[in-house]
Amino acid sequence: MKSETVIDNRPVKVQVSHLTKYFGSLHVLDDVSFDIKKGEFVCVVGPTGCGKTTFLNLLTKIYEPSEGELRIDGELADPKKHNLAFVFQEPSALPWLTVEDNLRFGLKIKKLPKEEIERRVDRILKLLGLEEFRKAYPGQLSTSTEQRVIIGRAFAMEPDLLLMDEPYGQMDIKLRFYLEDEVLRLWREIGTTVVFITHNIEEAVYLSEKVLILSNKPATIKEELKNNLPYPRDIASREFVEMRKHITEQIKWW
Amino acid sequence: MVRTDKNGQKGEFKKTTPKDIVYFILPFVSIGFLLLLWYRVSSITSLFPGMVQTYERFLLLLEKPIMRVPFYGHILASLKRVVIALLAAIVVGIAFGTLIGWNKKCDSFFGTVFNFIRPIPPLAWIPLITITFGIGEFPKILIVFIGAVIPIVLNTRAGLLSVEQIYLDVGQLFDANRWQMLWEVAMPCATPAIVAGIKTATSAAWMVVLAAEMLGAKSGVGFLVTRGMDANDMPLVLVAMITIGVIGALLGVITSLIERLICPWMRIK
Repeated sequence: MKSETVIDNRPVKVQVSHLTKYFGSLHVLDDVSFDIKKGEFVCVVGPTGCGKTTFLNLLTKIYEPSEGELRIDGELADPKKHNLAFVFQEPSALPWLTVEDNLRFGLKIKKLPKEEIERRVDRILKLLGLEEFRKAYPGQLSTSTEQRVIIGRAFAMEPDLLLMDEPYGQMDIKLRFYLEDEVLRLWREIGTTVVFITHNIEEAVYLSEKVLILSNKPATIKEELKNNLPYPRDIASREFVEMRKHITEQIKWW
Repeated sequence: MVRTDKNGQKGEFKKTTPKDIVYFILPFVSIGFLLLLWYRVSSITSLFPGMVQTYERFLLLLEKPIMRVPFYGHILASLKRVVIALLAAIVVGIAFGTLIGWNKKCDSFFGTVFNFIRPIPPLAWIPLITITFGIGEFPKILIVFIGAVIPIVLNTRAGLLSVEQIYLDVGQLFDANRWQMLWEVAMPCATPAIVAGIKTATSAAWMVVLAAEMLGAKSGVGFLVTRGMDANDMPLVLVAMITIGVIGALLGVITSLIERLICPWMRIK
């Protein structure tokens, strides 16, 4: 595979070193180390049950690692200090809040100044084209619109690190394409650092600047793959198909 | 079929079907049957007051107060007791329900005692309350309070215990502290259950107040029932019963309206 070297001057944002996790004697993650640049879009793929979710939960600090550490801006990651946002696989909009109040939710918890909250909410509403649904409740929206609200809610935090766990897992292909473009647009506009977990290889190639391929349990990083294809990507181009095939080959466990 | 409505808007509009008419008529039919039954029963035995008699007693009641309290005064007396007791029950019930629903230690500390007190009917407290507080307004309100507070506590607790994990996770990931978790996530999530508890409490309170008034009061709709019984004035008893039914139904409508106001997101499901 041809790999061009593009000089990436962005500073390192997230530094993961020697991350290891055991549950009892079950070895899930083994000595995982990698860096994420500021504003980088990283996709994580791997075989089923290889510990992708554990990996993510270590990044959000839901689990404490057995060994190793996670640094953000050179400091040990701490949810109290660093701004982490998370998009779940299942719809997680709060049903008792309107769309705009859902977007405000995290900002209010952080007690940001009112003008700042309004500025960000208006911006997200505009970027996602959700203005007409401003006063609607999640129950009135389609699943894909609700998922957009959740993605908007995460981006509104302008997080240091945005973690997305198969956010489009439940959606059909048309909506996926639509929401993939949407997430790219938000990412470019807001400049957030994103870690996106997916089991869909095409999605990983379509979105990412870097793909982390995990191996079978205990998961290690099998390959760290630069993805320099220009956006917007053509899923039928030769390079795209090649990369997709390469990753598929890499995660085969049979 | 595509039609044009009165604003000139084109579209397919809902038409009134025979089914809609049936649904509209059925309630009136059932009331008709009830009246017919009343008519039959009262024509068989002269001891059971007829409709005309009852209506005349109603008109007389409007003119002649009982115990120097006019008819509407009796209704207001009952409603006042219910409203005061309900407000107190809402405040205390939600606070206590939250305490045991949100804090496991409190739940295991108070839970047993609460489960023991819960099945005792409010009316069983009357003797103890009477010897302690006499027969003024306060003991009546207290009895109503006991009846109203229990469903509110139960529903608040159940509502908080059944908050879905995903919403708690959302709060956690946005780094909400315990207080914010309660106020921004758990309480709103439990609100429909709490409001349902208040609805149950309202109808319970209305039943208990009438029973409490029947056991010793000088005003209130329940008192009218006792008064009618003591004076062998059955038309008065019926007037009071019908009043109880109508007010109870109105209270139900009002609480449903309040529910829609407090939980607007529930309307669209």
